[in-house]
Amino acid sequence: MKPAPFAYVRATSVADTLAVLDSDPQVKLLAGGQSLLAVMNLRLARPSRILDIGQLRELDRVFDDDDSILIGALRTHRRVETDPLIRARVPLLAEAARHIGHVAIRNRGTLGGSLAHADPAGELPAAMVALGATLYVESHTRARREIAAEDFFTSLFTTALEPSDMLTWIRVPASHPTTGWGFTEVARRHGDFALAGAAAQITLAADGVVTRARAVLFGVADRPVLVTAVEQTVGNRPDPSTWRQVAREAAAALEPADEPEYQRHLAVTSLTRAFTQAADRSRAAHHRGTQS
Amino acid sequence: MTTSAPLMGATVPRREDERFLTGRGAFVADLTGPGTWHAVFVRSSYAAARIRAVETAAARRLPGVLAVLTGEDLAGRLGPLGSLHKPQPAFVEAFSFHSAEIDLPCLAIERVHYVGEPLAVVVAESRAIAEDAAELVDIAYERDEPVADARTALSATAPRVHPELPDNVAASLQAGFGDVDAARRRAAHVVRNTFRIGRHSGIPLECRGVLSRWDQARQRVEVWTSTQVPHFVRTAITTATGWPTHQVRVRTPDVGGGFGPKANVYAEEVVVAYLARLLNREVAWIEDRAEHFQATAQGRDQELEAELAVDSDGRILSWSVDYVVDVGAGSLWVAGIIANTALHLLGAYRIPHYRVSGRAVYTNKTIVAQYRGAGRPEACFALERSLDAAADAAGLPPEEIRRRNILRAEDLPHEVPLPYRDGVPITYDGADFGRCLDACLKLLPAETVTDLAADYPDLLLGHGISTYVEATGRGPYESGRARLLPGGTFEIAAGSASAGQSHETTFAQVAAQTLGVPFDAVRVRNGDTDAVAYGIGSFASRSAVVGGSAVYTACRRLRERGRELAAELLDVRPDDVDAVDGGFSSSDGRDIGWERLATELAPGGGLADHQPLDQTSTFSPPTVTWTMGAHAAVVGIDPGTGIVRVLRYAVAHEGGDEINPAVVEGQVRGGVAQGIGGTLLEEFAYSAEGQPQTTTFAEYLLPGTFEVPPTAVAHLHGPADLNPLGVKGVGESGTIAVYSTVAAAVEDAASSAAGRITTTPIRPSTVLALLTETEGEAS
Repeated sequence: MKPAPFAYVRATSVADTLAVLDSDPQVKLLAGGQSLLAVMNLRLARPSRILDIGQLRELDRVFDDDDSILIGALRTHRRVETDPLIRARVPLLAEAARHIGHVAIRNRGTLGGSLAHADPAGELPAAMVALGATLYVESHTRARREIAAEDFFTSLFTTALEPSDMLTWIRVPASHPTTGWGFTEVARRHGDFALAGAAAQITLAADGVVTRARAVLFGVADRPVLVTAVEQTVGNRPDPSTWRQVAREAAAALEPADEPEYQRHLAVTSLTRAFTQAADRSRAAHHRGTQS
Repeated sequence: MTTSAPLMGATVPRREDERFLTGRGAFVADLTGPGTWHAVFVRSSYAAARIRAVETAAARRLPGVLAVLTGEDLAGRLGPLGSLHKPQPAFVEAFSFHSAEIDLPCLAIERVHYVGEPLAVVVAESRAIAEDAAELVDIAYERDEPVADARTALSATAPRVHPELPDNVAASLQAGFGDVDAARRRAAHVVRNTFRIGRHSGIPLECRGVLSRWDQARQRVEVWTSTQVPHFVRTAITTATGWPTHQVRVRTPDVGGGFGPKANVYAEEVVVAYLARLLNREVAWIEDRAEHFQATAQGRDQELEAELAVDSDGRILSWSVDYVVDVGAGSLWVAGIIANTALHLLGAYRIPHYRVSGRAVYTNKTIVAQYRGAGRPEACFALERSLDAAADAAGLPPEEIRRRNILRAEDLPHEVPLPYRDGVPITYDGADFGRCLDACLKLLPAETVTDLAADYPDLLLGHGISTYVEATGRGPYESGRARLLPGGTFEIAAGSASAGQSHETTFAQVAAQTLGVPFDAVRVRNGDTDAVAYGIGSFASRSAVVGGSAVYTACRRLRERGRELAAELLDVRPDDVDAVDGGFSSSDGRDIGWERLATELAPGGGLADHQPLDQTSTFSPPTVTWTMGAHAAVVGIDPGTGIVRVLRYAVAHEGGDEINPAVVEGQVRGGVAQGIGGTLLEEFAYSAEGQPQTTTFAEYLLPGTFEVPPTAVAHLHGPADLNPLGVKGVGESGTIAVYSTVAAAVEDAASSAAGRITTTPIRPSTVLALLTETEGEAS
């Protein structure tokens, strides 16, 4: 399990990285190496040249804007998970990061790396679609582009990134105080790749009527699946059977590859649980509001 | 003779732990250095193919490459590996046992039989260069039709895995007693099922590894290998090369787990030793995990068709089983595996009529060895699952049908009218098997489910039980050696090498107590064919029984010889000298310590013209000694996903004296963990073309700390008269009954009829389907 021979270059700046990417479309960016190095060691990936961006401190920062958080692509999963700012302002994202592998993996793996890798069972791609995040993509020759997360993931391990592109920043809308969130994942063991999972954000009005609802399924298709059926709950006051009904509708539209019946069942289970968590949290937020 | 506080039976902290827990163990890979050349094996990409040509020129040209050899290059220089076990004639006759002979070359020559089979080897200055060169070896294959399923392999039209054989049957046996057909006619309930245990294995933390060099001065090959059986490795090397035994020394450094797959001998061990001599270089091959998943022997993979007949009270009338073991492209242990199932199918019960037939079958899958339990978990699964089904049919609770059939004090010792593999008629030398069942249910009663309900409101909970028997401590023999070192301390060695068990602690306990010296005065030297000339190894729950007894007898002899020397020094008759703690004492009150003896034996001393105090002894047990135990589990099912968690576990087992209770408990708990893995998570899957589908830990799921619950262990004492230590084996006790116990608990949790779960690993989708079915029946 040694990689095939490759050339190694360490990037010194984002500009430098973009220039190298432009001059050599075969070059592969290395950040935390948690996916790339494994497939290289199995010789399933054989890049001729590695550009190590792990030292680009400029992308390892987080900014608190008024209604959003701006996170650098090199932020590790572990720091996303434990960052008090992210936990307070986008708790769904911190929770999603907590589900990735094990601590040793989260200490190395990066947000940008996970999004660019686009594993259909990945927690962070799903969270970004659920949160309605915007991904900043830069290249040497083109102006910075802003791509909505739901447009970024195009297929199995495939994104809107061109060979000379680099994902630099991710803007995540901050959650409203009365927005409830839910994140569930079904795995055979803690830390495994998800057999199925769901992320949801539900905002209820004080009277229990849904004002906003957004949800994503992951691990059950070639990319995170936005659950459009949940929009029908807006303006209604849902009960537990409503959430299950929406989940069933969403799962019926899936065509999972192996054990389809079982995976659809898992989709229903995880989505229902995510909805329930989210709605409960929204209600609890109102409750706290009235008490204070 | 006086003794200090007994060491045997005491929970002495493991000597190994400080080294292992602080990362200071020294495994084969730790022995490599700047002068080591690295071997990488080129392996078959196909499950069945003829080799038309192997082109190595490009690989040879790569800078840093020392040698590239193919099977053709080694033909005539290296013979095949011989089989590791042949049963005794009495067994062969009673079981009409037959086995096929195959001679797989160390490196494949004309044909490959499984993906991962070695067919060429590259030696280079680093592992990375060797892997680059291995890629450049160009193999022209002509593909044959593979067979990856044992039932298919048995059909008359199936392609033959080894075309030189008439069919794909690797071994077969049949035996029985009583009149099954007549007994069945009297039955109130007959349950029939087909059971399947998936292919999985022990996954050691350390993969395999071999390092070898040619000692030019002494004209012999030195080998360090990660094995449970250094003496078997030496035999394999001398057999394949034709070198005399004195030209091969095999040692084990620290070994990071064996579990059976390392009780095998491998082509890589022979080839690396051969290369070291051929090239006159230090050569190492360190198996990586990707190779391990393809090339290290696997286990289980058995299907059993079983029929249990009981009367209206649930008493067993007859039991008949026909089974098929998939041994992949072959197994050096085929006789042991197929025999173990037939010999353990009777379990802990009174069974008056029994019929068994079994076949081991070749397929184009990875080779097979004995994995912890080795044919016993399969036997236990079929019997215990059938008992649960019969209990259901007879309207009895699971523990009640077992109580009605289990062998009790008045039934034991219990003779079975069949010989064991060693040819000796089987006798269960136990105390009271019913007592174990009761003790286990006391540790983990069925009511635990009610107690735990509040802690796990989202899970469906269930309880299951099983019992097992195990023949342990098999021969033919083991060697032990004890010698007095300068300064009055002792070195102990045994043929049963440690693969991570606690020999440095437990053998030292045996030796120190037998010699009457402090624990600290004894050190144990691990596997080394120079330390003891002959040996068998550590597997089959045998080290404490056979190796421990050999250490004991060697120490007894050493102490006796020490007494004679002390008498000589004191100028009295040996009868006037007593062995006491720390040495010897004469009837007239004079003491000689071991340190004094060592000094007198040294040059210039009063005993300098005597042989040093150094005794080697072999112990041959008359036959195996049987253990028995009961397991209980509480599991929880997530009804939304079908995922099963084992929440509580208990084992009560009947053994002999414990040398070290903590070590015994550790063996049981580790065995339970591996059983849980095999029951719920682990499987080597293959495509219909024989391509491995389980090639990384992302697919091969091992149980971790979240998957293994607290396990309560009760040790019940039984007779153990077949060895001087009064011990029985325990290495496999924890594993054997887990499969059936967890399956029963899952059915209970799902409120399903008993006997519905017939296959392991139990998939979440299967559990979910079971839940849907029971919901359907309920509504």
